[in-house]
Amino acid sequence: MLNILVSIKQVPDTTNIRINPETGTLIREGIPSITNPYDVVALSLACELKQRYGGKITVITMGPPQAKASLREAVEFGADRIILLCDKKFAGADTLATSYTLAETIKFLQKDDPFDLLLFGKQAIDGDTAQVGPGVANRLNIPVITYVIKLQDIDLINKKIIVHRKIERGVEVLEASLPVLLTCEKELCATPFVPLEQVIKATKAEPEVFTAEGPVIFTREKLGLKGSPTQVKKVFTPELKKQGKIYNLEEVPLEKVIEEIIGVLKEKGLL
Amino acid sequence: MNKYLYDVVIIGGGPAGLSTGIKLAQKGLKTLLIERGRFCGAKNLFGGVVYTSSIKEIVPEFPEVDPSPVERPVTEEGYFFLSKEGVVKILHTKKRADESFTALRAKFDAFLSEYALKKGIDLAPKTKVIDFIRNNGFIEGVIVDRPTSFEDPSPATIKAKVVVIAEGVNRLLTEKAGLVTKTFEPEEVVLAVKEVLQLPKGELEARFGLSNNQGLAVEIFGEITKGLPGTGFLYTNKTTISFGIGIFLKSLMDLNLKPYEILEYAKLHPYFRELFKGSETLEYGAHLIPEWGIKGLPKPYGNGVLVVGDAAGLVNPLFREGTNLAIYSGLMAAEAIFYAFEKGDFTERSLRRYEELFKDSFIYKDLVMLKDLKTFLLSNSHLFQVYPEMIYDICSLYFSAQGRYKRDVIREIFGIIKKKRGYWGILRDFVKIGRFLW
Repeated sequence: MLNILVSIKQVPDTTNIRINPETGTLIREGIPSITNPYDVVALSLACELKQRYGGKITVITMGPPQAKASLREAVEFGADRIILLCDKKFAGADTLATSYTLAETIKFLQKDDPFDLLLFGKQAIDGDTAQVGPGVANRLNIPVITYVIKLQDIDLINKKIIVHRKIERGVEVLEASLPVLLTCEKELCATPFVPLEQVIKATKAEPEVFTAEGPVIFTREKLGLKGSPTQVKKVFTPELKKQGKIYNLEEVPLEKVIEEIIGVLKEKGLL
Repeated sequence: MNKYLYDVVIIGGGPAGLSTGIKLAQKGLKTLLIERGRFCGAKNLFGGVVYTSSIKEIVPEFPEVDPSPVERPVTEEGYFFLSKEGVVKILHTKKRADESFTALRAKFDAFLSEYALKKGIDLAPKTKVIDFIRNNGFIEGVIVDRPTSFEDPSPATIKAKVVVIAEGVNRLLTEKAGLVTKTFEPEEVVLAVKEVLQLPKGELEARFGLSNNQGLAVEIFGEITKGLPGTGFLYTNKTTISFGIGIFLKSLMDLNLKPYEILEYAKLHPYFRELFKGSETLEYGAHLIPEWGIKGLPKPYGNGVLVVGDAAGLVNPLFREGTNLAIYSGLMAAEAIFYAFEKGDFTERSLRRYEELFKDSFIYKDLVMLKDLKTFLLSNSHLFQVYPEMIYDICSLYFSAQGRYKRDVIREIFGIIKKKRGYWGILRDFVKIGRFLW
């Protein structure tokens, strides 16, 4: 039996997102919200593991009331308990405040029944920081393995796990003892085609709502905007880099191309 | 023992299916609604006007609901006659502002489905019905594409006393149920294309002369369809405009036109180019509208099955009623189902009640009245070509008649009429239209 926690985030669907050219900020109006795709991978893995080993899935998210939709989606993957952290005092949190809030909530949730496996997406597609998973693991004082692409084995008796992790030049194969926190890459798990009963159950699911007042006891100063030292100095649209010219040497003689390159370098004062 | 047992299964989460569901749930029938889109409304499209009287039948508290599913009340309504050069508008300010509202389906259908869920139906989005459970000429439920459970990967089968098909215009399941034998012809459907345009902030109100709680709904004739039989429409939403065109699929095929080309062409018209200046296209959509008329309607009932809404061909193109009729057909289906449950008989014999109710309704009478509409429109396409141009030319002359002998102006006006259509031609058209509508 595995006791799994999955942490998810509702994000604007960035495939549709546009940037206001004057202010440089995201136009959020009318942009549909989705569950962060890497978190869907985490949910998919939880779903698969629950089928294979049995157990329980608890899903948490922090966000506005409409984040309920993502928690309902989690029920489709077999979530047994869904919790929404929703309070104005949580709003405006950076990764530091978010890690704190989630870690305290997880501590509260596992008081009687500790989690074996904590699954996070590798990053959220709106902020791209990839900091919350490791931040939570640190606060829970458990090992973290980021960018996991394959779960090779779980040994429930000896409480060990073997996973593959993506690194810049190759793959690391790591063994860790449970409990462990994994952050999930796309390749880790395919999205299951969930059964009808879960889909029906999901539309009616109502999450438990946790606020800053309880049931978890928080240090107020560490929450939301107050607890967020990150300051956004400037938001800007990166300029599109000019594309280089490409010559096909079967069509253009080499000498001509070299001449052209020399010409450009001279023009830029580099030669 | 089957895992999924329901009194009624409804296929399709548009207004027809949802109204059926709301009514059934209110009477305590165990109902499952299956929708193939991500949510109800995700795959649906309409021009954009809903009518209070029909919505009140299913949501009595409408329009006092929060959050509201509608955009603006329609306070001004009328017609634009578009010539190549300009436009003649006939607009009237409505006596009552709460009769009809502009809306967008993604929001409106989602609202209805939330409401239906609260009333107690079960909802299965993202799920497709692949076939029926059949037994001795009876339809006893449906088979969907999703697995039964995590343990059982076979496609889920759902047993039900009655299956309501609310699948929309493409009527694939209606065909599978054996209630219609042939697929439709290009002259039997209108292809509607629509864009949702965002104007710069405050410009919508400024350009249309509206306040925050006023809205405009117009139908457009003439150059908007390149003079082809069909209409354009323009509705104002909260911060956007719904702008679109509906044309017989046949005309598009004959002229080898792509749907978006005709919409792009319309947006280049001098009047609309100015009106939409600085706008941005937020959404683009296309959808078929059934115009089968009374002769092309499927048989709307069978053993254990009913058909509602677009799938049943319930559209009144001339009076812009589709959503409206979908809702009414849902109500009638629900009533027929109650009757069947009372009698404990789910054969054709008791479900025929639906057709009886339908034949008594204004919907059927309207469809009878407009039975030859598509033939009439397709064989009188000059109405869409000649008249908008003529009306514009006459107005142009009349409104710039200063400093001239008025008898000359009037003579010139008659000259236009004579040249464009001829007195006899006009008389014939009037008689034809009169006879058609009478």
